[in-house]
This record gives sequence, structure tokens and C-alpha cells, in this order.
Amino acid sequence: MAQDNQALDTARVFIDRINAGIGRTVAWAAMALVAVQFVAVVLRYVFGIGWIWVEESIVYLHASVFMAGAAYTLLQDGHVRVDIFYRDADEIGRARVDLFGTIFFLWPVSALILIKGWPYVAGSWAILEGSPETSGIPAVFVLKSLILVFAATMMLQGISMAASALMVLRKAGMAR
Amino acid sequence: MMELFALGLFAATCGFLLLGYPVAYTLAGTALVFAVIGNLFGVFDFALLGALIPQIFGRMTNPVLIAVPLFVFMGVMLERSEVAEDLLETMGRLFGRLPGGLGIAVTVVGALLAASTGIVGATVVTMGLLSLPVMLKRGYDPKLASGAICAAGTLGQIIPPSIVLVLLGEVLSSSYQQAQLKRGIFSPETVSVGDLFAGALLPGLLLVGLYLAYQVFMAWWRPASSPAIAADDGADAVRGLMPVARVLLPPVALIVAVLGSILGGIATPTEAAAVGAVGAGLLAARRLDPSARPAVRVAVLSMVALIVLTSFVDLRPGRQDISLIGKICIGVAVVLSLSLTWGTVVSFVRLGRAAILGDVVRATLSVTSMVFVILIGAALFALVFRGLGGDDIVHRFLHGLPGGVIGATIVVMAVMFVLGFFLDFIEIIYVVVPIVAPPLLLLGVDPVWLGILIAVNLQTSFLTPPFGFALFYLRGIAPPEVRTQDIYRGVAPFVVIQLVALVVLALVPGLALWLPKLLYG
Repeated sequence: MAQDNQALDTARVFIDRINAGIGRTVAWAAMALVAVQFVAVVLRYVFGIGWIWVEESIVYLHASVFMAGAAYTLLQDGHVRVDIFYRDADEIGRARVDLFGTIFFLWPVSALILIKGWPYVAGSWAILEGSPETSGIPAVFVLKSLILVFAATMMLQGISMAASALMVLRKAGMAR
Repeated sequence: MMELFALGLFAATCGFLLLGYPVAYTLAGTALVFAVIGNLFGVFDFALLGALIPQIFGRMTNPVLIAVPLFVFMGVMLERSEVAEDLLETMGRLFGRLPGGLGIAVTVVGALLAASTGIVGATVVTMGLLSLPVMLKRGYDPKLASGAICAAGTLGQIIPPSIVLVLLGEVLSSSYQQAQLKRGIFSPETVSVGDLFAGALLPGLLLVGLYLAYQVFMAWWRPASSPAIAADDGADAVRGLMPVARVLLPPVALIVAVLGSILGGIATPTEAAAVGAVGAGLLAARRLDPSARPAVRVAVLSMVALIVLTSFVDLRPGRQDISLIGKICIGVAVVLSLSLTWGTVVSFVRLGRAAILGDVVRATLSVTSMVFVILIGAALFALVFRGLGGDDIVHRFLHGLPGGVIGATIVVMAVMFVLGFFLDFIEIIYVVVPIVAPPLLLLGVDPVWLGILIAVNLQTSFLTPPFGFALFYLRGIAPPEVRTQDIYRGVAPFVVIQLVALVVLALVPGLALWLPKLLYG
């Protein structure tokens, strides 16, 4: 059993490190979002200039913040829970909820998004889909790929969450 | 059969939510389980789920929602940089000498801060941590103190510009279009986030007024409940108006500018939020790093100069026949923009060195992801619920109620009130509002009025013992000598105030509708 726990822990640490890295990096897209939107405001209201690619880059930054940052948020336990009972539950109770939810909710939903999203994104890559505007950013396929990034990182973070929960349950001698 | 599935989905979701797994995935996961089972029984067409991906993409590219991370950034920045703390402290000194003064300060600051957050937890926790110990030390009745803090903390939802109003506006506008299309109106009127902001302002101020009136009344009726700070307490004395103004004016000016430019129809909420976020960063740099002050000053002065210049001179370089003066002015504007950029960049670099910027961007990322993952989860839930005919059930139920529009509105409000005990505002906006709003709007309810009614209703729900969110947050940080009973009893009068405001709003829709009409015609 000890060996299994070792493997679980290694997987958990590895995944957490990946998603923490992604989250900490992409958080700066929020700063860039503020900066670019502010510059766009000055350009528009002072100089009457509106560039479509600037407007579109704001959309790209905005979408990357939450699509790539969602797994980091899960790692930080930043997704709201209805915690009427969860709040008062002990470690084992929480681990059970986390394991159950990951298996029946998080993984199936992530899988659905991957399965349904794959042809959608692949189709966009096949034609290297660009912006509907002529002077827009010709990388809509990259933007759409964020859907797969979101589902994949969430699925990974689910593995980490399930691993922690399993370790707690094993330690308590409940999970055999 | 299908209807059974729809009702089962709703019941199962409520049950699973109570387990405490993240809401977004509980919503989506339960819906997916029902979709699979429904598919086996031939009552759900699995192909319907294909619409999920384009819907996710739609939410990723929705321009209105870009205001969310920007307002979050602004709010987190004001909170982390202790600008909020200073505000509360100065207000406390300003009003502290009056009986009930500290409570009044809490309410006023709550209303001001409200403008930048809108997430109940953050405001209640900040204000609770800062003011509850002070109020208790000064001999305030723990009941009154906790009630005032909880109530002030929920103001963030109703007083614009709040994030929940942005989200609510977005959802209501699509519900409103749907309802009008069903009625056969093919060039539908729209309702915007700006409409909702304008509509929320007077009801929000009414609430602030009622809170203040109650506290003044208590100070007069039960002076022991909210004593004034003794005059010999030298440490807390206000020395002249200048220090007060220095702390008070900048944040107030920022909030007024942001709100004013939205209500005035000058800027979109997203644009105003970006200016607000940068402004909050400048305030934070000024607060945290004295050596950044010159840069902040340069940035602010350049911004003001640019605003003045652009309101007198046409600075568009692209237009025909620019006079010499025009060219000079454009040159000046370019220089001003550069100095604005310099001042802002220097200020933010200082914030980065003070290690505060990293915290702020990471908190912004977390809150934003939290919001959007709920939108995605709710999208899947709505697809399945609709596919199972749940929409029709709700529609028929609401239209079949005795009492017509009034009956239907009352029932919807009652249901939301109860749901508010265990769901946060954002979940209710994205799960419940899209289901119940179209039938109500179809019956002729005004969308802005409905939105404000929902907002005040949920705010009340969050204050109502024993399940109100705000109470949990305060309980979490209140010292043990404040009993849970005290919090419940202290907040009760504020719940009554809320209910009064709700009834007034229901009977006098003009309270919400007058300002939007005045501003936007």
C-alpha cells in the first residue's frame, strides 16, 4: 500500500506543479488585459483610433485568463462550493465528497467537452480559421484550442484531487 | 416521462449541491448523468449536447463579460493595498465622535467599496476584520455591530458598478430578446448593463439611507448600543480636514468617475472598468510606496490634462485639414499620453516590487475563473434541462398561477429567496434567471425592474438567518465572544429594512425605472 501511496503522491505533486505553473503564468494575462484595455480606451477617446486587432487581443487575453486558469483555481480550492455541510465535515468526509464529485462530475464533464470539442477545434485548425474581420487576429483556431486546454487541465487537476482524497481515505483505512 | 426527468434533474442537483463539491461541476455533472440516462430511455437527444462547445466559445468571446475581470482587479487592488482599510479608519475618525458614528462609517464605506467588488464574502470579511474589533472595543452592542457589518457588506451587489449586475444584465438581455421574439416582436428592444446600473442606483441609495436612519435611531433610542468615541481619546482625533480629504477624495473620485462615465453613457462598463483598474493601481502605489508618488502624480495629472484637452479639441489625427493649432494640440496629447504611460508603468512596477501585483493578478484569475466555470457548468445544465422540457414546465406553471403577473413574480421571488440560502448570486443568475425570466418577461414584466427586484431579493436572502451567506462569512472572522445568536438577532432589523425596501420597490417600480428612462430615454 505504501508504494501505491507513493505513486499517487508523485502524480499529485507533478500535476499540481504543472497547473500551478500555468496558473501563475497566465495570471499575468489579467495584468495585460487591464493594460491593453486601458490603452484602447485612451486611443479611442483621445485620438479616435479603434484598431480591431487591439479589441480582439483583449478578447484573447480575457479568454486565456479563465480557460487556462480554471485548473489552477481548482488547485487553490477557489471554485465555490455549497458548504453548508462541507464546512463542518472532517477530513474523511471531505475526501469522500471530493472523490465522488471528481469521478461522477468533473471527469465525465471534462471528457464530454474533450469529445465534443475535438472536432470543433480540429475543424478550425484544418482551415486555420482567422478572424471574421479582415484586420483581425488570424488565430481563432488558437483561441478555440483553449476549450481543449481547459478540459484537459481540469481533468488532470481532477486526478490530483482524487489522489489526495484517496490518500486521505487510505490513511484512515477506509478505502479497501 | 420527460417531465419526470426534468423534475428529477432539478431535485437531484439540489441534493448533490449540498454535498459540497464545486457548484459548477455538480451542476454540469448531474445534468450529464441525466442526459445519459434520458438518452437510454429515449427522452433526451444526445446530439443536443453538441451546442455546448459553441456556447462555451460564445461566452469566451462575449464583450460584455470582459468587464468582470477588470472590476475584480479593481476591487482586489483596493482591498489588498489597504486603501479600503484607510477609508474605513478615516471615516471612523470623522464620524466616530457622534453617537452611532462607527456604524455610520461602516455603512458609508460599505456603500463606497460596494462599487468595486460585489462579491459578498470579500466585503464582509474585509469590513468585519477591520471594524468589528474596533466597534467592540468602543463598547458597541455586538448585535448592532455585526448586523451593520453584514448589511453593509451585501450592499456591493446592489450598488453599481457591481459584478453581479454586469452578469445579471447580460442574462436578462438575452432573456428579454427571447421573450420578445416569442411575442412576435422581431426588432426587439434591448436592455443593457448600463440600464441595470442606472436602475440599481436609487434603490441602492434608498437602502443606504434606511440603514443609516436605523442606526441614528438606535443611537438616540439606546445610546449604550453605539457610543461615541470619547473626546479625550486623543489618538483618534481628526486633525483638520486635510488628512481626511487626502484619504477620502482619491478613492471617491475614482468610483464617481467610473460610475459616472457608465451612467452618463460616455463609456461602456468594460472601458470604465479598465480605467478603474488602472486608477486603483495608482491609488495602491501611492498608498504603499511613498517613492512612487511622483510617478502617480504625473500619471494622474496627464490623465486629467488629456480629458480636458480632448473635451475642447478634436484630437483625431485621421481627419481632414488639421489646423496648426490642431496639430500642436495633437502633439501635446501624444506627449501627455507618453507621460501617462510612464507614470502608470512606474507605479505598477513598484507594485510588482512590493509583491502586491502578483497577489492581485492571481486573485483576479481565481475569481474570474470561478465565475466563468460556473457559466460553463450552467450552460450544460440549461441544455439538458431544456432538452428534457423543463423550460416548458416552468413556463406553464408560472403562466397558470392565480394572480397573473403579480402571482408569478411573487412565486419566482420566493423561490429565489430560498435558493439564495445555498446558492451564490452568480449561480442563481446563470441557472435560475434564464429559466424563469423569459416567462415573466413574456407576461409584460419590465426587465430592469425585474433585475433590481432580483438583486434586492437575493441581497435580503444573503442576510437572512440561519443560512444567509453574509452571516457565515462574519461568523468565520468574528471573535468568539460575539455569539452566533448575536449575529442573527443583530441582522434581523436589517432584514426587515430589506423587506420594506423590497415591498416599496415592488409597489413603486418608478424607483428603479426613473433614472434609466431619464438617462437613456
